[in-house]
Amino acid sequence: MTAPRTIHFTLNGAAVAATVMPHQSLVELLRERFDLFGARESCGQGLCGCCTVLVDGRAVSSCLYLAAFVDGAGVTTVEHLAADGDLDPVQEAFIETGAFQCGFCTPGFVLMTKQLLDEIPDPSDDDIRHYLSGNLCRCGAYPEIVAAVKLAARRQRGA
Amino acid sequence: MTPFELEEPVLLGAALALLDPEDSSVRAIAGGTALMLMMKSGLYRPRRLVSLRKLAPALDGVRSAPDGGIEIGAMVRLSDLRRSAVVRAAAPVIAETLLTHSNVRVRNVATIGGNLAQGDPHMDLPPVLIALGASVRLAGPGGERIVRVEDLLTGYLETVIANNELITAVIVPPQTGWRTAYAKVTARSADDWPALGLAVSVRVEAGIARDARIAIGAATETAMRLPGTEALLAGRAIDDALLQEAGRAAAAEAPVVADHHGSASYKRVLVAVHLGRALRQTIAGAER
Ligand SMILES: Cc1cc2nc3c(=O)[nH]c(=O)nc-3n(C[C@H](O)[C@H](O)[C@H](O)COP(=O)(O)OP(=O)(O)OC[C@H]3O[C@@H](n4cnc5c(N)ncnc54)[C@H](O)[C@@H]3O)c2cc1C
Ligand code: FES
Ligand code: FES
Repeated sequence: MTAPRTIHFTLNGAAVAATVMPHQSLVELLRERFDLFGARESCGQGLCGCCTVLVDGRAVSSCLYLAAFVDGAGVTTVEHLAADGDLDPVQEAFIETGAFQCGFCTPGFVLMTKQLLDEIPDPSDDDIRHYLSGNLCRCGAYPEIVAAVKLAARRQRGA
Repeated sequence: MTPFELEEPVLLGAALALLDPEDSSVRAIAGGTALMLMMKSGLYRPRRLVSLRKLAPALDGVRSAPDGGIEIGAMVRLSDLRRSAVVRAAAPVIAETLLTHSNVRVRNVATIGGNLAQGDPHMDLPPVLIALGASVRLAGPGGERIVRVEDLLTGYLETVIANNELITAVIVPPQTGWRTAYAKVTARSADDWPALGLAVSVRVEAGIARDARIAIGAATETAMRLPGTEALLAGRAIDDALLQEAGRAAAAEAPVVADHHGSASYKRVLVAVHLGRALRQTIAGAER
């Protein structure tokens, strides 16, 4: 049906329900219905990573993801990382190394880094480039971003 | 995007029944990465999309076949394909190809079925699967048929898949004796869409190329084999002169077209150079 439907999912740890249209994207749902503005649509084509969120622990481009498809899933946005009032180690590392200028791309880089460190706790430079190659930073903070990922990795390993 | 109906059947039969043989504004949606791009740009305005999401349990997983080949469920996501130990053992070139395919987020969502059904000549996996001799299982109202990937793709965004057929699996035959390499050539970053994709499979015995399968993508209207170049290699001793001759032959044989990744004459030069390199890579592998 082109009619709206109700979906149920876990958003940043809380069970939520939402009424969505079949043609609504996930980034639209998060911004318009839940006032979560960390994910933002920039390229709209899967290329830049500004709209990154985690669905069942995996990073996706929410600009290319139908909202209806998160029915039954768990969605995590950048807002959740500091939900307890403390910044996540990845966020702290980005601040300490100055890994941004305008900050528009930062939520996406932070969430990609979360997935990277979940899968590879001690990433090589190649691993970092590979995971972050789909995120674009127009301010060109790439060297500092790579440094931030390494710092966060060291801290999380307790090294 | 314009509004559409969204159906989410849980059984294959129901999904097939929801498709419409006469109406191309009704389509399946798997990961949606290719469809979302087309819908957002207005290139495609569906009336109804039939989501395969709830069929995923039946169309998932990578299995070893009794003959030593593998069978990949249509809903297997590219990131799972890249990590699959079964794939790495049976056809490592697939995992290697996925390393520079799109990006982690796209691979987390995009499926192998959607990749092949899209019929986009700029994709990396179709030439690789052609060189591996792979086929797809197509389910339709009348039952199942098996089509080789090289026969599946017929033109730009065109395939032989009927409106009311679905890919259920990809079959990769055993690769005993064969070595495959894929050369992805991009005009910008390494993980960009390819300007040229060349997949080369050879069966080498004592320095002689007994058999070859060569498939080209991205530089042509659709991914395809180059039978003339394959025939030129068969039974010949492999040396630098032959590799150069094969490169020139492939550049002459392939119906190369221009796009925003490069002119046709530029792409022909790429073909001539990279065919030799890809062949050398397979041969180096074979002699290891
Ligand atoms: C940012 C970005 C970068 C990319 N870079 C690359 C790249 O470097 N190399 C590359 O090769 N590709 C690249 N791609 C393309 C990507 O590989 C495809 O978008 C993806 O594989 C499509 O799979 P999907 O499951 O998302 O398909 P969908 O979008 O869901 O479907 C695509 C088509 O297939 C049909 N379909 C889906 N599943 C089935 C089925 N089981 N049976 C029959 N029909 C079906 C749909 O009806 C639709 O017509 C890129 C895409 C993006 C967004
Ligand atoms: S806005 Fe989604 S990837 Fe750029
Ligand atoms: S900090 Fe400005 S785009 Fe990355």
